[in-house]
This record gives sequence, C-alpha cells and structure tokens, in this order.
Amino acid sequence: MMLRSSSTIAATSVGVCHTQRLWSHSVTLNYRLSQFAGNPLLSNSAFVKWKRNIGSSNKNNRFRMATKALAQPLQNADELIDSVETFIFDCDGVIWKGDSLIEGVPETLDMLRSKGKRLVFVTNNSTKSRKQYGKKFETLGLNVNAEEIFASSFAVAAYLKSIDFPKDKKVYVIGEDGILKELELAGYQYVGGPEDGGKKIELKPGFLMEHDEDVGAVVVGFDRYFNYYKVQYGTLCIRENPGCLFIATNRDAVTHLTDAQEWAGGGSMVGALVGSTQREPLVVGKPSTFMMDYLANEFGISKSQICMVGDRLDTDILFGQNGGCKTLLVLSGVTTLPVLQSPNNSIQPDFYTNKISDFLSLKAAAV
Amino acid sequence: MLRHKGKKLVFVTNNSWKSRSQYAEKFKSLGISVSPDEIFSSSFAAAMYLKVNNFPTQNKVYVIGGDGILDELQLAGFTAFGGPGDADKTIDWKQNGFFEHDKSVGAVVVGIDPKINYYKLQYGTLCIRENPGCLFIATNRDAVGHMTPSQEWPGAGCMVAAMCGSTQKEPVVVGKPSTFMMDFLLEKFNLSCSKMCMVGDRLDTDILFGQNAGCKTLLVLSGCTTQSDLQDPSNNIQPDFYASKISDMLDLLGA
Repeated sequence: MMLRSSSTIAATSVGVCHTQRLWSHSVTLNYRLSQFAGNPLLSNSAFVKWKRNIGSSNKNNRFRMATKALAQPLQNADELIDSVETFIFDCDGVIWKGDSLIEGVPETLDMLRSKGKRLVFVTNNSTKSRKQYGKKFETLGLNVNAEEIFASSFAVAAYLKSIDFPKDKKVYVIGEDGILKELELAGYQYVGGPEDGGKKIELKPGFLMEHDEDVGAVVVGFDRYFNYYKVQYGTLCIRENPGCLFIATNRDAVTHLTDAQEWAGGGSMVGALVGSTQREPLVVGKPSTFMMDYLANEFGISKSQICMVGDRLDTDILFGQNGGCKTLLVLSGVTTLPVLQSPNNSIQPDFYTNKISDFLSLKAAAV
Repeated sequence: MLRHKGKKLVFVTNNSWKSRSQYAEKFKSLGISVSPDEIFSSSFAAAMYLKVNNFPTQNKVYVIGGDGILDELQLAGFTAFGGPGDADKTIDWKQNGFFEHDKSVGAVVVGIDPKINYYKLQYGTLCIRENPGCLFIATNRDAVGHMTPSQEWPGAGCMVAAMCGSTQKEPVVVGKPSTFMMDFLLEKFNLSCSKMCMVGDRLDTDILFGQNAGCKTLLVLSGCTTQSDLQDPSNNIQPDFYASKISDMLDLLGA
C-alpha cells in the first residue's frame, strides 16, 4: 500500500464539531420572528382587530413593521373570551403545580364552559396517557374528559397513525408508562420502556448487544429510568435499521415534577440520542404544531378561533404563535414578569396575566 | 524506529475513562514503553484546563464520567466528586422530596459514562443552572466509540448532549478537535507545529485536531474510517496523507 497524498483542504472550523443543532424549535423561532417581527404597539382592541386583518395591505402596518409588539397585560378579559371559541390550556403551571390545583381554576373552567367555549388541555408531559390524566383531573375535582386531553404520549401514537406506520413494525420506547399505554391503545407493538431501566451491560470483549431489526421507530421522551442500555439500543435501531424513525415527545430542558424545583426534562434524554446518532428527531410535542393541527382537524375548529394559554414562552407561547392563534401567558408557572420583559426574551405573547382565574376577576374596561 | 530517529512521540486520546498513569499501564501490558508524561488523555486535559484557568481550589468539581477524570482532578489538587460513585444513586419519587446539590460546585465535567442515570443528569443540571458562574466542561463529543471490539457504543457526545439538553448551554470542549491539548503540549514540550504530524483514525476529531493546529496530518485506515468514508463526496475533511496502518512507515522507508 502506497502512502498517497490527498489535496489539503482548509480545516473546517472547530465550531462544526461543537455546534449541534439541538433545537428544532430554533427553526420555528426564526419562523415566528419573521412572521411577527414588527407587530405594531397597539391598544388591546385595536390589536385584536389587527390580528383579524392579518395579511391585509395596510400602509400604517407596513410603516410600523419596524417595531415588535410587547405582550399586553390582560385587562379586558371578556373581549378576549368573546373573540375565540376554543381555549387550549397547558397543564403544569396553569391548571396545577405538581399535584396541587392552582387557585380559582375550577370556577374559571366552569365559567368558560357556561359561555359555550370548548376547552382542550395540551401537555408535553408524556409520563401519563390521556386516560391517566383524566384521572388526575378527576382527583383534583375538575370535570374534564380524556378526549379533551392531548398529552405528548398521545401525540406519538397519533403521529404514527397519521403516517400509516405499519402494524408489523415495532416501536422502541425510551420513556415512561404513558407512551406505552397510548401505543398499546393505538394497536402498535412496543419494546423497551421502564423495564429496560433495570438492564445492565458489561463492556467486555466478546459482548455484543443485539437489537430487534423490526424496530421501525424509536420514541424518546422524559425518562427517570434512563440508562446506557437504552441509549445503545435506541442508537443501534436508528443507525442500523433502514428507515427507522427518531421521534421525540418534546424537548423541554427542565420540568416541574415537584413544585419546589426544576428537574432535568425530556430535552435531556432526547439530547443524548441526538449526541450518539447525530440525527435530529421529529418532535411531536410543543412548540411543534402537530398537536394543534391534529385537534383543529379533529374538532373542526379554525385556528384564529383559538387562544393558547400557557406558562412557558419557548413551548406554550411559541406553539400558539406557530399555530397562528392568540396567546396568553400566565405567571402562575415557570415564567416570571422579569423574564418576559427581559431584553433577552424575543417571544411575546399577545397578553399576559397572573393566573387563569383572572378571567373571573377582570371586568370589561369602561369605555 | 521513530524513537531511534530521535522523534518525539506523544499520545493523545479522547477517551477519558482512564488517567494518564492507567494508560501507561495499558501500554506496558501491550509491551510498549511509554511514560505517563507522553500521554494526553481528555481526563488530563479537563484537569489542566481548570489549572490553566486558575480554577479556585476551594470550589468543587462534579464529575459525570469515570475514575480517570476523578484521578486527574485530584492529582491536580482539586476536590472532585460524583463519577462512578453516583452510578447506583436513585431518587425516591414517592417521597416528593427536595433534590439537594452542593452550592460550592464551580465546574461540572462530563465525559464518557456507561453508568449514566437520571440522578447524575439532575445533579449536573442543578449545578450548572443554579451555581453562579459554574463551568460546563466536556472531555470530548465523540458520538460513538469502540468500547468493545465487535461494535460501537455511544460516546461522551451522548452524555454531553444530554447535559446541553437540560441546561441549554454549550460546554467548553477540552478534547479533540479542540486545540486545547495541542496548545498545552506545544508549550510544555516547546515544540513547533510545523515540525509535527498528527496520526489518527477519525476525520472529525484526530484529523481536524491536527488541521486546526496547523500541523501535518496522516489518516490511518486501521480504525473506524474506511477508504470509502474518506473518499465519499460528503466528506470535506482531507488529511495530507493516508495509509493502512502506522507500520506502513516501516515498509515504506526508502521506497
């Protein structure tokens, strides 16, 4: 074998190896900014009218496109309520915190229902199935059907259904019970889940990890039983099974498992698989609009008739904006007013308020 | 042959699992005489990074990785904890308790860790997110590596990306292709890049490392890169030379 010379090409920058496109929603953030950059600073009612006329060629709007509209404190709650037909609520930090109900929630939901509003609950938390969430709502004294709940665990099954994922293919799950239950309900075969949390490996010569060649999708979500076995199994499936899908329930960096503190979220487990496969996943949870498109189609609702209510800017509010609906940030969860108003924050909901029960306490402003 | 010709030999590995002296033992068991001073593992690089940047010794270091990292940190005079000791730690979810972490941790070092678990991810995440100025250091970001001869396994790139996912921060990388180790050894041995050749089997770590530093590069096909990988149109990292294995240098002498 001869030592052959190859032409020297300028060294690729070190940045190529360090930079990882971890955030699929960085793409959606750019989309959101390009769509809404320069929302004019208007009063609430004028703003609502502007949104209805979006796309109209108004000279004034074009002139004002240079400025970005800041979130307005919610004052005229009735006007917002009357302007939409459906409210989508995030759960953690909006309805409950950990296992405690946030003050005034039952009365607020009852009021909205009495006004004929459709209520939908969308959560990135994949640890429970929609049925299990239904039980949680019931335990907290709230009247909510499983069909009104869209957890990212359900979104995975719904996504596989929407692409006609073959029933003879299997799904490898790095995640918890909620995902397994939804896959089972949808008629899919799965492997993995929490029981792989007890599997150990010995990195010794001669040890070979086998993997099922019928796995056609690897689903990754929040997983408290995360370990190296699962990472390797998922990695082998994605790298070696032709056409194997890599699906993420969500990429939240941290989550409020307990209301006292933050905990490493699904973004961590998904990050691990991105690191080993060097592939980006398809994200079905917020801020991806998959769940929004699904429920809009399922219930036959127009997105301009929806208001998204959440406590996180980079999932809930971005989800609402990407979907083209109104957005209301509540400060009863992870986001504080200083964070919303920080110069580092570029995600501006239409409105913000302390908690959803403000719908009851805020009255129409006297004209 | 190379030593006979008066060439200086240096061994640089991204594998942080062992310390330099443990690697020297490995060389010895293979019948090769190499001094620990000639070995630069990414475990050593992490310790040197902290030293070079005057990391205060009263601050602690939390390690997600193996004993190699802990040993090198301790040798360099730092207080390090975590590592394999946290492999069996679990969280009692029924308790709904508070997860405590040491507020004096000033750096989290992440390397290859086959004993990765949620406890470690949470501990490291809290340190980086909540301890003011806490450093996030990665030994390296290799996606996979040959932990066993028969197949590839997830590398440090996996654990590092897990931490990026929960902290939304990018780490300082001390291993290849970052030039930190190169800068360090150039200064330590008073060498010049122009008189150096980097020999490796990976394009995106070894060869890029050499190119970033400005030295000659030789790719060997005795490892994970094949000739077709090298010549694939999607590859844009071109070493100066390639050969089957380093012993080709013996065969080709005088050719």
